[in-house]
Amino acid sequence: MAVYKHSYSAYTGKVTPAWMRVFVLSRYAFDEAWSSKISIGLLVFCLLPCLTSIVVIYLANNPLAQALVGAKGNQILAIDAAFFLKTLEGQCWLALVLASWIAPRVITFDLADSALPILLSHPISRFGYLFGKFIALFVSLSIVTWIPCLLLFAYEGYSSPIPWVVANLHIAVGLLAGSIIWITLLAFIGLALSSWVKWRVVATGIIFAAVFIPAGVGGIVTAVLRTQWGFLLNLPFMISSLWQRLLGAPAPINPRWSLPTGAIVTMLILACIVCIGMLNKRIRAREVVRG
Amino acid sequence: MGIIDLDQLEVRLANRTVLNGLTGELRGNAIGLLGPNGAGKSTLINTLLGFHLPSNGTARVFGLDSHRDRGQIRGGIGYMPENDSFIGNMSGVRFVRYMAELAGLPPDVALERAHEALFYVGLGEVRYRKVNSYSLGMKQLIKLAQALAHGPKLLILDEPTNGLDPMARTRMIQLIKDIRKEGSIRLLISSHLLRDIDETCDEVLILKNGQIAALCNIEEERRSNRSFIELETVGATERFSVSIRGLGCECACYPGGRIKLILPDNIEARDLYVIASEQGVQIRRMNQRRDSLEDIFLRAMDNDMERMGNGRLQTQL
Repeated sequence: MAVYKHSYSAYTGKVTPAWMRVFVLSRYAFDEAWSSKISIGLLVFCLLPCLTSIVVIYLANNPLAQALVGAKGNQILAIDAAFFLKTLEGQCWLALVLASWIAPRVITFDLADSALPILLSHPISRFGYLFGKFIALFVSLSIVTWIPCLLLFAYEGYSSPIPWVVANLHIAVGLLAGSIIWITLLAFIGLALSSWVKWRVVATGIIFAAVFIPAGVGGIVTAVLRTQWGFLLNLPFMISSLWQRLLGAPAPINPRWSLPTGAIVTMLILACIVCIGMLNKRIRAREVVRG
Repeated sequence: MGIIDLDQLEVRLANRTVLNGLTGELRGNAIGLLGPNGAGKSTLINTLLGFHLPSNGTARVFGLDSHRDRGQIRGGIGYMPENDSFIGNMSGVRFVRYMAELAGLPPDVALERAHEALFYVGLGEVRYRKVNSYSLGMKQLIKLAQALAHGPKLLILDEPTNGLDPMARTRMIQLIKDIRKEGSIRLLISSHLLRDIDETCDEVLILKNGQIAALCNIEEERRSNRSFIELETVGATERFSVSIRGLGCECACYPGGRIKLILPDNIEARDLYVIASEQGVQIRRMNQRRDSLEDIFLRAMDNDMERMGNGRLQTQL
């Protein structure tokens, strides 16, 4: 086949290994996600709180600044698990905003014009297809969650005059684990809900709704029945509790309303299973005609 | 070994048997897949692509099991679906490159082949436009380009001329003929249009209600067919038909003196005039023609395989 000849010839060159095709999907999905200026704007917005955290860490480790704020200020400028919990919470909720925008971009273009029959007619499985999209979303959300959080942790370790890193290594582990749990869940929710909605804007709204409407219902259940189990529908509450335990930060809430870690993990796994079920139903090369 | 081997293939979808006991070996360079709506053409294609798991029997493509080895099969297949199937937000060249990379081409080669494939199908000038701005004909062509770009061994075209105007259809048919002529690609073409299959294929598989109604080599079938003759007569038609049966013709009589018959090789049309003259029958019109794909198709729709084996006009006789 040659452009100037306008004739066809077979391809006889080498082909890439089968496992590489997943990364082809990831690369194109990643490009699609970040091709929008709004995506870039949101990324910048999501990283702004990190700048504040950097300034706080700098001031906390600067003798002049410490002298200026005095003994009371030392409590404000304390860099501990609570500080990183606040940072993680901020970044992870901003990640929800980013996910609600880019998750639909990753998958709805394929579904809007029924590209799945063509995509899946290539040597790629449905699992491979979803895994490729998942990687794109996971990497995108990593940029605003665990990567900046761990960089802040490293900066604190570098800035601190005392050996700080080894003594607080559990915070880094908590930051990484908490972020990964959250962005995995967000990626599943984002992909599952986006696969069922053709319009991106609607998908964005539905992702927010999926997080906050059950939380509202859970709040009503908790208030009416006076039981903490209503919080099992409250994703923000559950994930905040989990982060606090992972980082070993003091509990900011009334212990009477706390949930067992096992129940939280079970609910998060259940949410992922529901999302996988939705994706399994939707991501098909052909719809089965009933009747 | 054929390109596609079917062995008692049965596919059930939603508790309904869509393909029922298909057995056959498809060997042609260009295989036509014909059948009315709901006959199971698309289901057969989807089964060959590994989208459906056979509930019984097997389907093999180039000797590979359609479900177990689907990854390997898909690597050697180019598929052009019937309906709209593309990523509208991408430019033409980016879309074709993406598909070529998914098929296993390295990125730089995929880009080169994408440009070439788009020029080959005639979309070279519009390759940087977004696919959703293309006309229906262009969308059909870009589906063909993505199916060709990675150099498949088997090209599956599901209704390739669907929705095309006459000029675009002619162009598509010519492309398919060129691809067939080039020789490195085998073709499986599903179509409702007998003319498309007639012009492009050398073997045809006709499906009806999920079963094989006919599987034949079009050229051989044409060669083996004797001449069809349609007569319009006035006079003692019944007696005339008995006489021509005596010559060894198969014939069927219809109201209004119409007779359809198949002439054996040793009998000529002139002999009919002689008999008609002897019996005082007037032959007002004589229409002689060879068997067309349409005849093969209609016969397959009317008769089952056994009847076909016994004789073409047996039901009418």
